[in-house]
Amino acid sequence: MTQAAFFILTALIDEPRHGYGIVREVEELSDGEVQLRVGTLYGVLDRLAADGLIELDREEAQQGRLRRYYALTDDGASALSAEAERMAAGARTATRRMAAHRPADARAQPTTRPGRPGLAGGGA
Amino acid sequence: MTTLLEQRYRTVLRMLPAYYRAEREEEMVETYLDDMDEADQDLARPAWGEVASIVALSVRTRLGSAGAPPRYAAIGSAVRLFALLSVALLAADALTQRALPAAWLTGAAPKDRADFMRTFTGNGVLMGVAQTLLWVLPLAWPVAYAALLRDRRRAAFTLALLGAAPSLSYLVGRPMGQGLGVAPSALTVVTAATAWLTVAAVGCGYHSDAPPARLPFAPAGPALLGTCVLMGGSMVVWPQGADSVWGSGTVVVAAGCAWWVARIRASRRGAGTPEPALPLALAVLGTVVLAQRCALMGLLTSAQAPYSTIVGGEIQAAALAALVATLTVSGTRGLLARTKATAAGAAPHA
Repeated sequence: MTQAAFFILTALIDEPRHGYGIVREVEELSDGEVQLRVGTLYGVLDRLAADGLIELDREEAQQGRLRRYYALTDDGASALSAEAERMAAGARTATRRMAAHRPADARAQPTTRPGRPGLAGGGA
Repeated sequence: MTTLLEQRYRTVLRMLPAYYRAEREEEMVETYLDDMDEADQDLARPAWGEVASIVALSVRTRLGSAGAPPRYAAIGSAVRLFALLSVALLAADALTQRALPAAWLTGAAPKDRADFMRTFTGNGVLMGVAQTLLWVLPLAWPVAYAALLRDRRRAAFTLALLGAAPSLSYLVGRPMGQGLGVAPSALTVVTAATAWLTVAAVGCGYHSDAPPARLPFAPAGPALLGTCVLMGGSMVVWPQGADSVWGSGTVVVAAGCAWWVARIRASRRGAGTPEPALPLALAVLGTVVLAQRCALMGLLTSAQAPYSTIVGGEIQAAALAALVATLTVSGTRGLLARTKATAAGAAPHA
């Protein structure tokens, strides 16, 4: 699942949203890191709809123009949940390894002489 | 009231196919203009990033896959098949063009071996590195072929870029020891165009919605091996007539003939209009090889090449032209049938 698809599905968890509503919500959710262009948004929406992960909720006219609201389907919620779990598992693994690695560094530092890192811990 | 920005954005959206605009244009305009101050809209223009996203969407919708209208699904299939077949042909060419000299070198006289090695070592370190890269980089094509069939699309695209890179160097002329001002030959231009057309087809055709690459009729490994054997065999069997396009031309003629035999058998069994993707892909592949063949014929004629080489090249050019014409007619008929189905609002292509 791409980053854009992940954030779009996340944006639809609480309520159905129209195109601009999704763009704004994704920007907020990602702290401004993901800014969807309209072409990108509709490319991803087409794909998610074709895969049955989202569906059309309703249509409204706004100042003479069309607004379509999209909603998360049950399959979409399952796919998002699985992806979130996969990402969380990856994050847990990374955090665990970082935690295991840091004390070793911390212990090694006092005995390491500057410029000779290869001899760290060597007592000869 | 329509603002200038809206007009400009609608102009950008005209890049999208009509069926897609009919479905999405109003919604996209609403999404784009929402929250924009109307007073500023006459001064603004769509951002380049926004235009780029529409270009990408335009390519994706025009090279459709399952679910797209029949015409766009057929065009998408044809582009993807061309990309795959062209990568396979370039891969086989890279392997064959290196295997045959290697086989020759093992039995060559020491003086001939030294002459061959001087290509890499005789013009200084920089030229040696450049010549080595030119020799090695085309081997990215076989790896790109494997990556494409394993559905590693980004890797396949990157490898195709690497495989095509030497064609730019030949175009500039430096690695051949020529100055920058020397005009490239027609063959060099056509060869480079073929490589980059293939890169573009891989990049555009295998977008994230496209189905995985599959060769028609044959498993991937034996198909590449068979292409190498046919290509190398045609050069070994008739060395006095073979030139740098001969092997590729032989393979395309054989593939076109095989398609026609299969088509005749299918029509005897009462099959209807053939799928247009394969004949169209073979027709485009045949056209680029025919263009290379014609460019090389010009060089051979001006260099007063042996009569057998000229005649062999002309016969191959005629066979390629005939195949391209018949494949184009067959493919276009199939595409027109799907265009009518699209216009009539037929069910999406499954």
